[in-house]
Amino acid sequence: MEKSSKSKKRLNTAKELPLIIAEYYQECHEAKKEGRPVGWMPPMNGGIELFYAMGLQPVFPENWSPVCAAFGLTHKNFEVCEGMGYSRDLCGYLRNIIGYVHGMMGGPDNPLGGLPEPDIILPPQGGCSPVMKIFQALMRRFPQARTFYADMPQVAIENIRDHHMNYAVFEMKRLVNFLEEVTGRKLDYDRLKEVVRLSDKACELWDEIMSYRRFIPTPISASEIGIMFVMVTRQGTQTAVDYLTRVRDELKERAEQKVGILENEKVRLFWDNIPLWYNMGLFNYFEKMGGVVVAETYSAAWSLRLDADNPMETLARKTLTSYPLVSCVSIKKRKEMVLKACREYAIDGAILHRNKSCVPITLGQMDIKRELEEMDIPALIIDADHMDDRNFSTAQFQTRADAFMEMLLSRKGYSL
Amino acid sequence: MISDLARPFDEIVRNMDQELQTLASEGKRLIGYFCTYTPVELIHASGFIPVRILGDAGTVEKAYTLTPDFICPYLRKAVEKGLNGSYKCLDGLVQGYTCDAACGVANIWEANMGADPFHILPLPYVDQDESRSFLRSGLEDLAEILKRAGGDFSQERLADSLDIYGRIRTLMSELYEIRYEHRLPLSAEDFLTIVQAGFITAPERYLSMLHDLIDALPETCDPGEGVPILVSGSLIEETKVLRIIEESGGRVVADDLCTGMRNFVPAYGHGSDPMDQLIDRFMNRFPCPSRSSAEYRLPRLLDLMKHSKACAMVFVFQKYCTPHLSDYPFLNDALKDKGIPSIMVELDETGIMEGQLKTRLESFFEMIGW
Ligand code: SF4
Ligand code: SF4
Repeated sequence: MEKSSKSKKRLNTAKELPLIIAEYYQECHEAKKEGRPVGWMPPMNGGIELFYAMGLQPVFPENWSPVCAAFGLTHKNFEVCEGMGYSRDLCGYLRNIIGYVHGMMGGPDNPLGGLPEPDIILPPQGGCSPVMKIFQALMRRFPQARTFYADMPQVAIENIRDHHMNYAVFEMKRLVNFLEEVTGRKLDYDRLKEVVRLSDKACELWDEIMSYRRFIPTPISASEIGIMFVMVTRQGTQTAVDYLTRVRDELKERAEQKVGILENEKVRLFWDNIPLWYNMGLFNYFEKMGGVVVAETYSAAWSLRLDADNPMETLARKTLTSYPLVSCVSIKKRKEMVLKACREYAIDGAILHRNKSCVPITLGQMDIKRELEEMDIPALIIDADHMDDRNFSTAQFQTRADAFMEMLLSRKGYSL
Repeated sequence: MISDLARPFDEIVRNMDQELQTLASEGKRLIGYFCTYTPVELIHASGFIPVRILGDAGTVEKAYTLTPDFICPYLRKAVEKGLNGSYKCLDGLVQGYTCDAACGVANIWEANMGADPFHILPLPYVDQDESRSFLRSGLEDLAEILKRAGGDFSQERLADSLDIYGRIRTLMSELYEIRYEHRLPLSAEDFLTIVQAGFITAPERYLSMLHDLIDALPETCDPGEGVPILVSGSLIEETKVLRIIEESGGRVVADDLCTGMRNFVPAYGHGSDPMDQLIDRFMNRFPCPSRSSAEYRLPRLLDLMKHSKACAMVFVFQKYCTPHLSDYPFLNDALKDKGIPSIMVELDETGIMEGQLKTRLESFFEMIGW
């Protein structure tokens, strides 16, 4: 197996993705040309809806990392970043984006035209430590950009109380004031409601799409998870809704006709943690043996619903909950989510990616593994990294995955 | 190697298990924490003794079953120590959200070692009226949780706790001032031992020990040999690395550690009621990279160097520590620009390679040629 390979896409709508991605980045560049302020921000927060509502352009440096991985640029970026003195032990997103903005950014050979420079930087407070540090480094690199420090409580979802919400709403309002001031544009609340409605629609479609994975055989697998791109970059736009509707329709049709991703689906798998962006082909390996990944932790970050009638509150709640949903802020909650998914999606085995690039999602996996095994769901831990292929050993993966798959197949009565 | 002055503190640190057991057998209820951003005064005011969970000197064997090997060795060793039963006297765990690893390990601790009460307190990053009242609500929440666990909190009790911790911090600051003047007859190893004892024992007892120590300090002291340095990092649990630094030609005259100065500055906060004072101190803390940017810290570090007449910086990091490792390139470049020599030492869970480290440090100090 290659260290970097691409996953097989079977859905027609998944094949549309490169175009969707190209269009988004084109839009970012046009915004820059037209003088529409470009803001860099972390994903999974309410800033995205505010930006779209105000006609500003959101850009997501974290999302740029999978793009770099797909184009095989990560090594170059790591080299620049590590050359600056950043430790190889730091999160791969951090090393990639810092390397990129100090290296190839703005030069020739940038895929998709590269990233346009930020006019505004919105560092997150409330996500993980690396993201906080990424944005501090970006502020250093782009000193001319206007920055706004939003403060979001880092609180487990089950512990959210009024004072967390009130503070989060206060911070969202402060952000609006800041954006109005630096861009000279006024936020139109009716427009915001419309954007939030679109965002909510996207979430609803997202959940519907995910629910098709309950079908046996599943009409969509982790190999097509790239569709998540629109949830990261396009939430709150008609584009996202249209695209997700097309995905949903295709899945519906496939589900009705019982067309699975695999001709002969034998084993249903759960994937915990971020995929290996440089090696989405890893999923092909399982698929070749009749195993298909039908659920994962990461995709749950968008399983929220938004209330268009209370846009500020709902965006504050979104910002507050998206990250804790998938991280170790509450391992209890994540464990619950994983176990529930395993039941609902009829999972036979779980693959827990022990991800050197993401401590928050990795911590707690051992506890999750134990509980899965109590539910009689075997779990395999694979050591890797979602960005840095130097932390992934193909040979080791293959030996362990072979044994795991053989065990699962024989448990289900398939002779090898 | 531990001097007579530091010996009583060393006894406590070396017999930590016993110390905790004694406290427990006296009917004290103990609450563990990892980061010094945890409001110890509030825990104390509720009738508990806050105990900072430290790591063990040994290597990690059991913690492999619970934590990946790429989180900081401090936390892994703490889990190891927990699994070995050292913290069975702890009732609960309270942690201020500082870094992801500590937050995750707190969760793991609760699931595997048990912790009741258990709470992770979200902390604001910016200082504005609303963040102060947000923090206030969070602290009131925590007081409520501690109350439900049998605690007994009141503003008066908090005032007393602020007073006792404030006095401890004032005495520690006095020691620091003497250290900045290069007049402290304590090695860095002694000093860390003194700080560590404070994490383990009841503050009342600790305060009187500090008084005794200060009374016993000689009037004058030979400034000693070695390049005066500032040690910067998160926390150091094993004193050995400091010993090696001083044996190789350095002399620690200042630090930016949460097992050090960062825990003590400022001694008090201001405000109209005890809760406000607690909040104010939090807001004015000498910042940890997990809560601030390198730009914010740099001028403070430079001031500290000037004040202590340190000529070089030694960064001592826990391997995999995101907040510190991320700030390092900026700080290092800034120091270089100012012509201040610096060197970085990473603490690994397998322990430091003594010989190799010594050679590196020796040539570093030689190069400075102080
Ligand atoms: S640590 Fe995890 S959550 Fe944080 S930036 Fe890296 S990948 Fe994202
Ligand atoms: S040493 Fe670093 S990673 Fe470890 S608990 Fe402290 S801040 Fe977190």
